[in-house]
Amino acid sequence: MTDLPPITALGGTIARVETYGALSLTENPAMALASLALRKGQSVPSPFGMTLPEPGKWTKSGAIGVYWVAKDQWMVEAEGRAEEDFARVLKAEVPEASVTEQTDGWAAIEITSSKGAAPIKALLEKLVNLDAAAFTHGAALRTGLEHMSVFLIRRAEDRLAIWGMRSSTETLWHALAVAARRLEGI
Amino acid sequence: MTRLSGGLIDRNTSFSFTFDSKTYTGHEGDTLASALLANGVRLMGRSFKYHRPRGVVAAGSEEPNAMVELRSGARTEPNTRATVAELYDGLVAKSQNRIGSLAFDALGVNDYFAPFFAAGFYYKTFMWPRAFWEKLYEPMIRRAAGLGRLSMQADPDSYDKGFLHCDVLVIGAGAAGLAAALASARAGAQVILCDEDFRLGGRLMTESHRLDGAPATDWISSLEAEFETFPNLRIMRRTTVFGVYDHGIYGAVERVSDHAAEPGDKVRQTLWRITAKRAILAAGATERHIPFADNDRPGVMLGAAMRAYANRWAVAPTKSAKDPIAIFTNNDDGHRTALDLMSKNVPILGVIDSRENAPRFGDYDLFAGSMVTGTKGRLGLREIEITNGGTASWHRCAALGVSGGWNPNVHLASHHRGRPVWDDTLLSFVPGADGPAGLIPAGACAGLGSTAKALADGAKAARTALIELGMKAPDIALPDAEDMPVSQADFWHVPGKKRAWVDFQNDVTVKDIVLAHKENMKPVEHLKRWTTLGMATDQGKTSNVSALAVMAELTGKSIPQTGTTIFRPPYTGVSLSVLGGGDTGVNFRPRRLTPTHTWAKSQGAEFVEVGQWMRAQYFPQAGETDWRESVDREAKAVRKDVGLCDVTTLGKVDVQGADAGEFLNRMYSNMMGTVAVGKVRYGLMLREDGFAYDDGTCARLGEDHYVVTTTTANAGLVYRNMEFARQCLWPELDVQLISTTDAWAQIAIAGPKSRLLLERVVDEFDLSNDAFPFMGCAKLTVCKGLRARLFRISFSGELAYEIAVPARYGNALMARLMELGSDLGVTPYGTEALGVLRIEKGHAAGAELNGQTTAKMLGLGRMVSVKKDSIGAVMSRREGLASDARRLVGLLPVGSTERLMAGSHLFAQGAAQTTETDQGWVTSACYSPHVGGYIGLGYLENGDTRMNEEIIAANPVEGSEMRLRVVPAHFVDPEGERLRD
Repeated sequence: MTDLPPITALGGTIARVETYGALSLTENPAMALASLALRKGQSVPSPFGMTLPEPGKWTKSGAIGVYWVAKDQWMVEAEGRAEEDFARVLKAEVPEASVTEQTDGWAAIEITSSKGAAPIKALLEKLVNLDAAAFTHGAALRTGLEHMSVFLIRRAEDRLAIWGMRSSTETLWHALAVAARRLEGI
Repeated sequence: MTRLSGGLIDRNTSFSFTFDSKTYTGHEGDTLASALLANGVRLMGRSFKYHRPRGVVAAGSEEPNAMVELRSGARTEPNTRATVAELYDGLVAKSQNRIGSLAFDALGVNDYFAPFFAAGFYYKTFMWPRAFWEKLYEPMIRRAAGLGRLSMQADPDSYDKGFLHCDVLVIGAGAAGLAAALASARAGAQVILCDEDFRLGGRLMTESHRLDGAPATDWISSLEAEFETFPNLRIMRRTTVFGVYDHGIYGAVERVSDHAAEPGDKVRQTLWRITAKRAILAAGATERHIPFADNDRPGVMLGAAMRAYANRWAVAPTKSAKDPIAIFTNNDDGHRTALDLMSKNVPILGVIDSRENAPRFGDYDLFAGSMVTGTKGRLGLREIEITNGGTASWHRCAALGVSGGWNPNVHLASHHRGRPVWDDTLLSFVPGADGPAGLIPAGACAGLGSTAKALADGAKAARTALIELGMKAPDIALPDAEDMPVSQADFWHVPGKKRAWVDFQNDVTVKDIVLAHKENMKPVEHLKRWTTLGMATDQGKTSNVSALAVMAELTGKSIPQTGTTIFRPPYTGVSLSVLGGGDTGVNFRPRRLTPTHTWAKSQGAEFVEVGQWMRAQYFPQAGETDWRESVDREAKAVRKDVGLCDVTTLGKVDVQGADAGEFLNRMYSNMMGTVAVGKVRYGLMLREDGFAYDDGTCARLGEDHYVVTTTTANAGLVYRNMEFARQCLWPELDVQLISTTDAWAQIAIAGPKSRLLLERVVDEFDLSNDAFPFMGCAKLTVCKGLRARLFRISFSGELAYEIAVPARYGNALMARLMELGSDLGVTPYGTEALGVLRIEKGHAAGAELNGQTTAKMLGLGRMVSVKKDSIGAVMSRREGLASDARRLVGLLPVGSTERLMAGSHLFAQGAAQTTETDQGWVTSACYSPHVGGYIGLGYLENGDTRMNEEIIAANPVEGSEMRLRVVPAHFVDPEGERLRD
């Protein structure tokens, strides 16, 4: 292991956590991310034994999550493996495909609700132009949020993950925190 | 006090408020207008041009007159309609557009000069002298003919935005809207019901009609109780849908806390973008008035508004039998006002009906075949003149309700250039068939104004929407309601010589329309601009159709032939704050921070915005008083020892695939597919039109794996162009792309001691010149096993490397390099020193790649390969580009230590300095500590053949010029030995 100490996307040594009413925001620096893109004509592989999800979907098996991002392209998440060379692990699973390390290209913010789906829906309505009622468990989308490009994943009815560009995490966090604070009353 | 019994106000909750510093009391449920009327205040404002005393005309958002400055200090909001300002405790309002008091307005003198203020008077009067326009006329007109004033302070409140999606959006919660929402919600559709009012009910609240024999409010209450049980129905009160946009998107403003003195923790307003599969427009109708002589005095109101104040707010303009209320109408509906007021014991002078055969509906004096032909009363109505068949008589009268028929609120249905159509029976425009797709008008706004018809039409519209959406439409039971046919006369204004106002807010009279007609401003769009009719904040809601009727009469055309102006959003005024929304200041737009930002901040770096990025500009040290001192020190340290610079912001695109090399050959003007694994090559990209637009390096990390770097500014653009090429131009190529700009922290290590420093962090990697020569690249590990990428490239001209590690380690790596290099004189440098170093080396950057330069101009003509095709290659050979003789040169001031300014234009000595003789320009300039003076780069005509010639750099903006000597564009190490060392 390297002796260089990593920092989170928000510049801290530990993940930032803030709670506003029913909503908690947690920086998730431990989540590894790698892109998987099929080569031309390649058959769809099954990394880690998983069926790659359809457009707009996210699936999870054990510590591995996969979401669709574009035609023949997915992002693969791995819990707790951000400080490993996870892209290499994935490449070994899909040797024919193109794999690119994305862990620090993005930063994940996990949002949990202590009051079920309603606060998550209300938050989505304030942040992104999508049908929040239809964005249910297992949905994943790339969209714009306060002029930033993000991936949204509905991990559960009471959980939402947002992957934003690492360099603008401070702005993203601000946007999420302001929106969550304004929903404290609900 | 002129409060009546009943009404939808909470008499147990009293609010104290002030208007023009005088304190009054109102109740919860009041608007500012109803509360002022209840306190006997009729005079509420001054008119726009003539400063005529004005009172409230309407009871809703169409109000043209009763506009106030609401709140105080930074929260002052001008031009707020008192009719929609919900009363709260402590409300502060001031009248506007006056000098002196509202009762004595010095600018009231304008009224005596009215003949000079006729239609088009601005255009005619303030033509000359031209110089007076900006300094004298415009400020004077703005002062005299303005409305409210801004506080000129920053808005202290927050605004929000949001996005909603639904099956059915119901706009308006009157009879039609409530029925539509009920039917849609019961069907299980996702429904949003919006109303601009703070209570549901619309005109059901303002009429005395009963539903199923009970007050309409009973039905509304039972409906509201049922609405509570629908999880699929969202009710948005105080929410105005102001516009229809493409693809079923509706703009709406929710006034979240406008009904409070201060919003506290809440936002003031929220801008909602509502995407609706279907929308039902149940916006109701607005009553029109009948212009007659001096019809603008406080006390002259719309008849239905008078009824609304009596029924909903329990207010009558008068209760004195000596000063009764009169009604002037051309239709049956006007008589209702008399009946409702009489039922509340308000004294009535009578109903003046323009129709000879006017029907009688109750026990009141009926002046059939009569007209109101004049009024008296300086600050409020005192007397009216009633004329019947040439016989005129004056009558005491405190208030006059005028009913000229109803105009359906066709506005939203007429967005997207929909044209309303004329209905000869209703004598009004109704929504046309070419309105926005998916929008279904219902009820009074579709011309179906009786309560029974509105309820039924609302339900029908819901049925239509549901069936179109493939849902089952339930039958809903509607209450029994009035369904009285309303007959109406085609009577638009009372003829006469005196001024009869059509548009109260913009002071447009029948005479102005006559004048516009005389001056050939006959088309409706010309009429509007010439007279300013309908151009005030109320957008002519109470005046437009009447004005069309007057113009039609003058031209002899019909009203539909005269036509309407185009309807556009917003339906009512929308504050700029809520449109701007979101954050101001540092969070106004996304900021991107580099991986070493925390470290740089701790070093006291000054930062500079580079696009969205914040980059360290320079690192001031103790004792340095000027930025140049810091920059010179940093640049010198790189030339002498070693410097560190975060270069993460340069774009990085990961390119993989069997055809990656071929793909890059087509993207770059030069050959790129042939670069060997473990090597880097400089590359140039052209636009389709042949101009150069970006440069950078391309590293080949594997057989089918490349990393393209771009300039910071063009990172997004290059990636987008590459994706476009991949997906659309050459989909047959096997290429996969993804941005990795943020993923890797990249640090430039530059200077003669860079290798020494780098050796201290790499894990067993041979950095010798033989093993890792100039333009080499490699994957390796640093600091005990951290995966990294190393590139031997140089922007400064020195021996240099760029090392990349996963972004989370960038901050620590920078600190580690600083720590390990302290004995080597390691120095962090920012973008300023980076610029100095590259100018000294003659490397192009944004200033040289400004979109107007060719590869040849850069001296890189041979980089546009003729052995293959690439984007822009063919176009770069067209004559206009190929013949451009300007070339990049170095420039040295002669006999001057003055600062050389980038942007200066280049001329031959002794030549006139004109556009025709212009020979180029200085692209970049800086103080070079290496040279010991100012240096520059620039494009000069035939510059490559003019070495040592003296030319002139002219800065005509500041009137300065400077002699320059043309030199090669390399001020350091022209042979490039250092970077290969």
